[in-house]
Amino acid sequence: MKFLLREKSIVLTVTLIVLVAVIASGCGGSSTGQNDTGEEQPKIAFYAFNSEPILDWDPSVEYSNGIVVLNNVYETLLRYNPISNEVIPLLAAEYSKSDDGLTWTFKLRQGVKFHDGTDLKAEDVKASIDRTIALGQGAAFIWDAVEEIVVKDDYTIDFELNYPAPLDLIASSGYAAFIMSAEAIESNPDDWFSQGNEAGTGPYMLQSFKMGDEVVMTKFDDYWKGWDGEHFDKVVIKKIPETASRRQLVEKGEADVTMELPYEDIEALKGNSAVNIIDEPSFQNLLVFFNTEKAPLDNKLVRQVLCYAFPYGDVVKYAMGGYATQGRGPIPAGHWGHGKDLFQHEYDLDKAKELLAQAGYPDGGLDLLFTYMAGDEAEKKSAELYKTELSKIGINLEIRGMPWESQWELARDSDPEKRQDILTMYWWPDYASPYSWLYSLYHSEEEILFNLAYWKNARFDQLIDEGNEKSGIDRQVAEDLYIQAQEILIEETPSLFAYDKRYVWVTNSSFKGFESNPIYPNVVFFYDTYHE
Amino acid sequence: MTKNLGLINSIKPRIKEIRLSLYLLGRNRLTRLSLVVVILLILIALVAPYIVPYPEHIETETNPEDKLLLPSGDYFFGTDELGRDVFSRVLYGTRISLQTALVAVGLALLIGIPLGAIAGATGGIVDEIIMRITDIFLSFPPLLLAIAIAAFLGPSLENAMLAIAVSWWPWYTRLIRGQAVSIRERQFVKAARAIGTPPMKIVFGHIVPNCIAPVIVQASMDIGGVILTIASLSFLGLGAQPPTPEWGLMVSTSRNYFLNAWWYSIFPGLAIFVTVLVFNLLGDGLREILDPKTRKI
Amino acid sequence: MFGVVLIAFVLTRVIPSDPAAQWVGQRATSEQIEAASIELGLDKPLYVQLGKYLADLFKGDLGRSLRSHQPVSAELKAYLPATVELVLVSTIVAIFLGIPLGVVSAKRKDQLVDHVSRFFSVGAVSLPTFWVGMFLQLIFYRWLELLPLGDQLSMGIKLTCEIPHITGFLIFDSLITGDLVVFKDALAHIILPGITVALYPIGLVARMTRSALLEILDEDYIRAARSYGLPERMVLWSYAIKNSLGPTATVVTLSIGYTLVNTFLVEAIFSWPGIGSYISSAVISLDYPAIMGVTIFSACAYVVLNLIADVIIALDPRVRV
Repeated sequence: MKFLLREKSIVLTVTLIVLVAVIASGCGGSSTGQNDTGEEQPKIAFYAFNSEPILDWDPSVEYSNGIVVLNNVYETLLRYNPISNEVIPLLAAEYSKSDDGLTWTFKLRQGVKFHDGTDLKAEDVKASIDRTIALGQGAAFIWDAVEEIVVKDDYTIDFELNYPAPLDLIASSGYAAFIMSAEAIESNPDDWFSQGNEAGTGPYMLQSFKMGDEVVMTKFDDYWKGWDGEHFDKVVIKKIPETASRRQLVEKGEADVTMELPYEDIEALKGNSAVNIIDEPSFQNLLVFFNTEKAPLDNKLVRQVLCYAFPYGDVVKYAMGGYATQGRGPIPAGHWGHGKDLFQHEYDLDKAKELLAQAGYPDGGLDLLFTYMAGDEAEKKSAELYKTELSKIGINLEIRGMPWESQWELARDSDPEKRQDILTMYWWPDYASPYSWLYSLYHSEEEILFNLAYWKNARFDQLIDEGNEKSGIDRQVAEDLYIQAQEILIEETPSLFAYDKRYVWVTNSSFKGFESNPIYPNVVFFYDTYHE
Repeated sequence: MTKNLGLINSIKPRIKEIRLSLYLLGRNRLTRLSLVVVILLILIALVAPYIVPYPEHIETETNPEDKLLLPSGDYFFGTDELGRDVFSRVLYGTRISLQTALVAVGLALLIGIPLGAIAGATGGIVDEIIMRITDIFLSFPPLLLAIAIAAFLGPSLENAMLAIAVSWWPWYTRLIRGQAVSIRERQFVKAARAIGTPPMKIVFGHIVPNCIAPVIVQASMDIGGVILTIASLSFLGLGAQPPTPEWGLMVSTSRNYFLNAWWYSIFPGLAIFVTVLVFNLLGDGLREILDPKTRKI
Repeated sequence: MFGVVLIAFVLTRVIPSDPAAQWVGQRATSEQIEAASIELGLDKPLYVQLGKYLADLFKGDLGRSLRSHQPVSAELKAYLPATVELVLVSTIVAIFLGIPLGVVSAKRKDQLVDHVSRFFSVGAVSLPTFWVGMFLQLIFYRWLELLPLGDQLSMGIKLTCEIPHITGFLIFDSLITGDLVVFKDALAHIILPGITVALYPIGLVARMTRSALLEILDEDYIRAARSYGLPERMVLWSYAIKNSLGPTATVVTLSIGYTLVNTFLVEAIFSWPGIGSYISSAVISLDYPAIMGVTIFSACAYVVLNLIADVIIALDPRVRV
């Protein structure tokens, strides 16, 4: 009996624990509403993010996810809206450029305060950009054209350039263009920022963070736009890697906004009135690179075969759930420099077969290695769909999902024979310029970085370099040059353009005021948002 | 002559032992059941390519119009995100899991047995060195070392096998060394040594054959654990690559479609569970039978 | 321990990836990579690097994460309490469920109860934990709406309540400070991951208790006790179970090691902010100082647990060396 009794008491204890927990979860929601002091409860925005919210707190250095946080804590001189093609004044009230495009003058907004209490002056802008250039990390290269920054008076500043560059677009970059307090820069050691301190002008201040997990921000009372109207008091950005978790949090109203959900989930959520689906263009596109330095893809005909055998329609429909369009050239539609009349390959297996025979492989018999970034479901599905088509013409595709770092290391192996045959990756611009794609991905390189087709074409290089110099003066001329260059690129087919992606956001339906801006990927400007 | 002596010494009682074991094995209902299922699984693994309803869904073909369908007469377990038959893939997965597990354990034995036998048979400084190395490997929690090795080797099924083998061999080394130490002083080994048989021949000709049995038993009991480890590695993205129908990879992929098609996750998960379960049950039964203390005749 | 570090170090040096390139991030220029490789000391010979790593290790410095550029030791410290809490809770659950299960099983050996309980305990160690976690979420969060989805606390509670920080273990801290709102919330959050992680040790403990008990029940002194006509209950409790606690305790200690690694598979599913989540993202991004940090830490913990197990065995009066 004693034994049984004990057994019973254990069962009892366990039941009790479970019971308490059940009760607890039942009042979990209401307990947030209670408060002892009688103060008004803070309004909290919760962004369920798919990855680490930030990797480096240094605004001069961070060149990754962190723009999601930093754009709420810091501000840039200008902001760019690519849909309306407008440059919006932010910390700079107005700006102008000289006729030769070599001197840009910014007039700063007055009455802007930093989180450390100092006022925004031209010195702060100079100190910030100089610091970013001097550190030379992250996206600092966007300031490459800058020769000197000259403070004219407290609120006027000149940028002197080496060559004409689109400084308005550069100054509105989501990376490496943040303005910090000069006071904070001078009175602290270099690594002060990266240790998790900030000195920005943005609407939110950093309250607390757990590196790699979550960031909590709280409103900055002296923000220059003021706090009239509906705003959030606190913002949480938290890493929730599981897609199922992200979806459910937003569905149940625990989180306000999320992204990167599987398209099957989006489909299922469409009829759900608890959520809104916001579908916006992005400047992110999936590119497929062919190893032009290794047989058999050193043969242009074989590369064309691969372009005709790619199931563009199926990939858009099934890998991307229809939230994409087939790419036409490397510049996504809607971005300046995109050529509406450029040649576009279409899925045509007969043609592919014919070309394959022409190239000397009438029965196929090729084995190709295809690498993609592990964990990306759309890339994985695209690869599997591609494999199906290629197998029909006798080409065997070996698919390998790798962490980005190993994929890149393999692609940069000194021996072309050891590298992959086909590599796929997403690209998006640092600031709104076609040069970001054309230079980084296809300009010939001494040392391999992102030209992962290892393609070299002198005429192409010349055209895009010229385009870049012209883009600071006459964007129309630049655009023409860029399109000419893309014609060569498409003719030589070092890569295929799988699709231009669309951003699909899922927000709780009470979450209002949110607008997606493709040049600031995944960024929510929380100051504009509120709960209804 | 000495060799024969050793063999006769060990074989005679062993045949008896095996007979007895088989008898006992059949007596416990749970063990008997698991033995039947294990044999069934092995059969499935052998003939999987010929019996699955959609063999083309294993490697190349996709059929995206029929994605994520509910289980039905056409597709017993429904379809996956690219319209492939989950039943065919799960069935075929048996082959992959068993094959991988066997190779991984085999590799581990291949490293573990010679090292353990040499250590046990020679003793002294060699023994010390080998066993210190073994201890180092044993001080990693088992799955962790496999994760770390697989992460560093890069994701593929072959590397996962290698990672498991590298993290598993020390157990066998330790086991066989213990056996070897006791056999070292037996008469027939001493005799062999006395007539000047080369040391390596003693190790592999006399010692290994006489202490390999418990290691093999242990290894077969480990199969379940190894299958689970492979699935875990694949789940973390460190194992099989798409479109290989490996169970862990399938569960991992299905996570993305979980809320719309939870049935897709059930079957590969169940397959892991059932397979590991029967291997573990069988192992448990074996252990009980072979351990003279708990054996009751 | 030196061997552990050595193996971990060698492993990280055979990886086909350039740490310097990782340090500067995904889109880097060659100059940046070169500068980083000098900064990280990667231009020096391997043994110099190893020497430096060891020297730093003695000072408790595990290097900096390639991804976040933060000291790994500081990050471990931030992620550790959540994991330890999860491990402790599931170990306690394992003891309270596993031992009775094993006792019942041994007592009624080869009867139906034994079969069922054996099936259950072997089943518990055969379940893919990541899969169990997914289904628990589906059932208890989505369908029954009883328990929270993941994380340690609700967002609302985390931001509006004072969260007590004494030991770093939420449940314990909130309980001793009497903060019932936080306590209930934390408890509700730990149930699902706790059960998921506990399955393995429950099975292990039950199996071990059963076989230890069976062994003991066969011993002469038990037979003697029985032949004296002592009640079976007394024989079981006063002699057998007491004596089987030694091996069981050993298994419990060792199973903590397994449990720790099991959290690596489970934490990501429950967005549990522990070292499991930390190492999964480190593995994805090949952040080798972070992977090494976790590996060395876990190996240390495992070695210590092994030592404790050895001590327990040594304390067992039946073991005579």
